[in-house]
Amino acid sequence: MYVKAVPPTDLNKNTEWFTYPGVWTTYILILFSWLVVLCVFGCSPGMAWTILHLSHFLVTYHFFHWKKGTPFADDQGIYNGLTWWEQIDNGKQLTRNRKFLTVVPVVLYLIASHTTDYQNPMLFFNTLAVFVLVVAKFPNMHKVRIFGINADH
Amino acid sequence: MIAIPYLTALTTYFSYGLLFAFGQIRDLFRKVLDWCRSNNLQGYAPICLGLEDFYIRRLYLRIQDCFGRPIASAPDAWFDVVERYSNDNNKTLKRTEKKTRCLNLGSYNYLGFAAADEYCTPCAIETLKKFSPSTCSTRVDGGTTTLHNELEECVAKFVGKPAAIVFGMGYVTNSAILPVLIGKGGLIISDSLNHNSIVNGARGSGATIRVFQHNTPSHLEEVLREQIAEGQPRTHRPWKKIIVVVEGIYSMEGELCKLPEIVAICKKYKAYTYLDEAHSIGAVGKSGRGVCELLGVDTADVDIMMGTFTKSFGSCGGYISGSKELIQYLKYTCPAHLYATSISPPAAQQIISSIKVILGEDGSSRGAQKLARIRENSNFFRSELQKMGFEVLGDNDSPVMPIMLYNPAKIPAFSRECLKQNVAVVTVAFPATPLLLARARICISASHTKEDLVKALEVISRVGDLVGIKYFPAEPKKEHQE
Repeated sequence: MYVKAVPPTDLNKNTEWFTYPGVWTTYILILFSWLVVLCVFGCSPGMAWTILHLSHFLVTYHFFHWKKGTPFADDQGIYNGLTWWEQIDNGKQLTRNRKFLTVVPVVLYLIASHTTDYQNPMLFFNTLAVFVLVVAKFPNMHKVRIFGINADH
Repeated sequence: MIAIPYLTALTTYFSYGLLFAFGQIRDLFRKVLDWCRSNNLQGYAPICLGLEDFYIRRLYLRIQDCFGRPIASAPDAWFDVVERYSNDNNKTLKRTEKKTRCLNLGSYNYLGFAAADEYCTPCAIETLKKFSPSTCSTRVDGGTTTLHNELEECVAKFVGKPAAIVFGMGYVTNSAILPVLIGKGGLIISDSLNHNSIVNGARGSGATIRVFQHNTPSHLEEVLREQIAEGQPRTHRPWKKIIVVVEGIYSMEGELCKLPEIVAICKKYKAYTYLDEAHSIGAVGKSGRGVCELLGVDTADVDIMMGTFTKSFGSCGGYISGSKELIQYLKYTCPAHLYATSISPPAAQQIISSIKVILGEDGSSRGAQKLARIRENSNFFRSELQKMGFEVLGDNDSPVMPIMLYNPAKIPAFSRECLKQNVAVVTVAFPATPLLLARARICISASHTKEDLVKALEVISRVGDLVGIKYFPAEPKKEHQE
């Protein structure tokens, strides 16, 4: 019932909240509750999962891989060139948190394409979404800005 | 160690997520609305990027009335809090002329010197008449009075080191000394919950910074071994100097530092120890000499001892004490000594008099009484709160007690309800504490009487029931048969 909260050695206040217990459960619960909202609209389960997958793609791409810096000025802008994904776990690659966050969009993709029976317009969008998300999370893409998109001035 | 109920962790994340989402939607609308309106920047760059102050604009300003409350009297056990109101949902607050008399559970007034004292205040007024409020000069130019020399000797004797140097501001003491002591090619290993002044000083020094898990000597040893083996980044040369920075009492946790183990590890690996006793000097220990006395550590083992005069001595300023050579070196190089105005003479006199009272040199036993009273008060308050079922952090004998709140909505609820019942508490949230672990921090003072504490306990218990922060089961009340 009670969990122990050990203060982490991460000095970056923007990402250290991700190391406390309960984050993964909250993330998955938010995805499920959004699914419930979609089901209320009376569309088929395939459409609901596809909409969930695509909106998850938009939200996580914007906040993890597009927005740079931190939402407070305390740290004097030392992380201003890094997206949230590049800041997490102090830049160390292939930690448990990163692996979890890479697996979630893949699982969503599998469920979404299965429930839509791999039909074409949905399949294309779903595949594009999961491809972009997973490639953005590769260790080789750390601090890479393709064609200078989203680079610093 | 903090034990959170799992459900509370989930709801806290969810609440912060909701607040964040609403903030982003409002920002989106603001961007859309501002697109039509032209800005009056006239070609200059905007002062801050839109995302930098997101937290302040969308989260902090909503509960702004819980922070920064102006007070209209000395911060004694009871003080006057100025009432404020807002017409635009807390974006701007306006002060009124009305004041409420509240119980003060937030000021760092550990020994009760914050208000007028029968020995200290006449001395301070005498000094004010003789020396005037400011020295109007830096220490090296014309700002060293006889008081400053007397103060440095007094502090050195009190702390137990050969010499000391005194500065006008506590924050500046840390942030101006660390760059002088260590530079590029050195290593600073600091506790993960160190104060912002230490973090800023370490960043300003240019040395490499490594953090070890809060109060865990085994992790400190691991980090030391790894860093000494690897050497400087990229060149792998040996480090020029290694300094380990810890605090005596951590102000957000109320915990004492595990000083004996940490000092033993530092001696084994030949690293310097820097102890920041801002909250512990004067408040713990049998004669008020801080954590070294309480935990039985010889002061000669700690290389640099730093402290502030704001908490237990009722004044302002900070000091560094160490060996004579170290203090002599600091007097030649430290920018706070060479370029900053020296400590104000009445403030210096207040410190000298309060040290005399603590040591009993003014001829009465008030110092020993105060120390005993703060210990009793802290232990009584902490045990009562724990019996009621609150989650209270901190070790026994520590006068700082954080009560865990966790959820962001409980912060303003607790603060405002307590103020309505005339108890003023300080609540702390992100980013001063980790995201999940928002808390209300109570500072007990030697000037709180038993009735004050009982009233505070009643109010906190009632508000705690209303807000829902009794996370642990309450102990059943035992009937005392006297």
